[in-house]
Amino acid sequence: MRKEDSMSKIGLIIGREYSTRVRKRAFIVLTVLVPVLVVGLMFLAMWLGMEEKKHVKVLISDPRNLCDERIFIGVEEKNPPATFYFYQDYVDSLDFVTRADMKEFDVLIALNPTVITNKKIRGYYREEPSSDAKDYIRDKLELRLEEYFALDKGISLEEYRQIRQRMDFQLKGLDDNEESEIRDKAQAIGLMFSIFIFIFITVYAAQVMRGVIEEKTSRVVEIIVSSVKPMELMMGKIIAVGLVGLTQFLIWVVLITILMVGLQTFVFKDILTPENWQGINDQAVAMNQITTGMETSEVRNQWAEVFFEFMNWPLLITMFLFYFIGGYLLYGSLFAMIGSAVDSETDTQQLMFPVMLPLMFTYVVSVMIQGNSDGATAVWLSQVPFSSPIIMLQRIAAGTVSIWEVILSLFLLTVTFIITTYLAGKIYRVGILMYGKKSTWKELIKWMRQA
Amino acid sequence: MEMLRVEHIVKQYQGHTALNDISITTKKGEIFGLLGPNGAGKTSLIRIINQITGPDSGKIYLEGREIKRDDIEHIGYLPEERGLYKKMKVREQAMYFARLKGLNKSDAKKKIEYWFEKFDITSWYDKKVEELSKGMAQKIQFIITVLHEPKLLILDEPFSGFDPINADLLRKEILQLKENGTSIMLSTHNMTSVEEICDSIALIDKAKLVLNGSLKDVKAQFRTHTYAIQFKGMMFGFANALWSDFALTNSFQIDDERAVAHVKLLKGNTLNNLLQQVMPVVEIEAIHEVMPTMNDIFIRAVQGEKGGQHE
Repeated sequence: MRKEDSMSKIGLIIGREYSTRVRKRAFIVLTVLVPVLVVGLMFLAMWLGMEEKKHVKVLISDPRNLCDERIFIGVEEKNPPATFYFYQDYVDSLDFVTRADMKEFDVLIALNPTVITNKKIRGYYREEPSSDAKDYIRDKLELRLEEYFALDKGISLEEYRQIRQRMDFQLKGLDDNEESEIRDKAQAIGLMFSIFIFIFITVYAAQVMRGVIEEKTSRVVEIIVSSVKPMELMMGKIIAVGLVGLTQFLIWVVLITILMVGLQTFVFKDILTPENWQGINDQAVAMNQITTGMETSEVRNQWAEVFFEFMNWPLLITMFLFYFIGGYLLYGSLFAMIGSAVDSETDTQQLMFPVMLPLMFTYVVSVMIQGNSDGATAVWLSQVPFSSPIIMLQRIAAGTVSIWEVILSLFLLTVTFIITTYLAGKIYRVGILMYGKKSTWKELIKWMRQA
Repeated sequence: MEMLRVEHIVKQYQGHTALNDISITTKKGEIFGLLGPNGAGKTSLIRIINQITGPDSGKIYLEGREIKRDDIEHIGYLPEERGLYKKMKVREQAMYFARLKGLNKSDAKKKIEYWFEKFDITSWYDKKVEELSKGMAQKIQFIITVLHEPKLLILDEPFSGFDPINADLLRKEILQLKENGTSIMLSTHNMTSVEEICDSIALIDKAKLVLNGSLKDVKAQFRTHTYAIQFKGMMFGFANALWSDFALTNSFQIDDERAVAHVKLLKGNTLNNLLQQVMPVVEIEAIHEVMPTMNDIFIRAVQGEKGGQHE
């Protein structure tokens, strides 16, 4: 007979908990299904987007011949989403519906002479064209009319555009600068991590609770605690469920990557070809630049800058893991405690409320503090251990936090989870062997003193 | 040789005392009955011995040494409320519990095979517990309790839930374990089984130890000095011969000529005195002392009647 120390007993518990959980059908199905669904839906959306690019025939009713039977000729399109036809007479929507010679056209644009003064253009479609096609029609026509107006006033197209260009008016605080905009965007990326941590904690901490209730109601717990300490059992379960969650997360990341790459390489060769996307983007950018100035492309460039240059990914991911583990252990032990105090899942409601409250509150706040990563709310809540795992990552992402703040926050989180795990362990120890008692928080505190 | 010594154990829960200064000692290789009505504190004591909970004061010694955390590997515990993981396969489950008790993989595997073959249930290996009947699960539970060959086996109501055939099988297994040197502590309400298999007992009532000693001594303590005399002759004559030195506590006719009378000796009289009184009147066929059953002792002890020598 070989002696096993306490660590290897926790190891045994983790092993059992982990292997039974990952072998569950629900786990396997969810683990495989989620990436397939995510990637599937993504590709479905793209595919539908491609299908939508049905070529449309546009009839321009142009009684005054403003367009001179042509549209604006800009950057050459390979496969334009629409072709234009001109008709030098009035056509209204009724004609468009009833007249046989109109049947071949998908879109009617009524270019009434009043457009010169009121700049109103109305169009009708039989079946809604793709947004690409709509943009194309609008852009080409608008640009053509600009040519007309410029010519009409006897100035060059460039001069006309200069006059027409919108003011770029931004009212900013003294300390606002481009950097703060980038920070806000980085914080928004941090919010993704906040949301993920929130979901992970609620889903998996609840699983810990359910596991505890199951062991308690099947009475198997008394046999286990005659071999291991209740605290070892509790920690083993919390760690195992956390590992199951990490496993699932990791498999999702790997599967999604493989599926994306696989589908791109073998099935939808053109969908994700960077040149295709680049081309479309360039065109859009080029056209937008002419009409509305630099704004759109600026925004797009800023996102890219944030994503590829500003974000300190290794730091963010490392910190993500720290806060993720700290937060999960903190809430996991509280959920385990609740599980130990009840006889069935339906009895958990009352006890859950005070534990869920800070979690829900933080989640809501994490959305509210967008764009204000160094405000008082964000600064304080990134230190409070019950909210720091959700809030701090946004501040780290935004880069508005000093190393000392992170160290202090992690220190507080660690101290708190050690304390809560210790106290929860005390309650757990009494709770798992207590049957048929209506548990209240008052009762739980009594148990804590007793243990 | 002592196996387990419980010294002045006190345990209180939120204002109520579960164990009030309990001290008992069990010998190596004996079956020790821990008796008491529901709520007396037996389970509290068992949990303290198993180190599931700690006492408020007092100490536990195993084989003369104060009990340590590691000692739980030498104890096997079958709780009254049985429980197994319902969705786990029988063999995996047995392996898990054996390893939690400190067995390594290959030892655990050997032991599992030994017990499953012994009970002829190797076909259950890959069954989930939820597929087993209650009696089958009870067997698995028993095997899990004894797999690691504990020196001290604590069985809380081991016979509850077993049909007579399986209860008998279990009784034989317990006696076999005893023969192999295992010390056993048995907590039960089943007084018949106590009489059949226990060497010593302790009776706890309302958190206090009210009786303790070998089964023989306890029975002797509750002796009423009553004898059952079977005779041929008239009951009337028999009763008349007793006078005030003896009390006739019970009597019944066997047939027309013969009867049995229970007579209690009073005022320091002996059986010889009794025989001298009745021999001239009736023809004595058989005679034996009426010993109290454990059931009687239990009821008398719990209802507050102190056991004592015949005055």
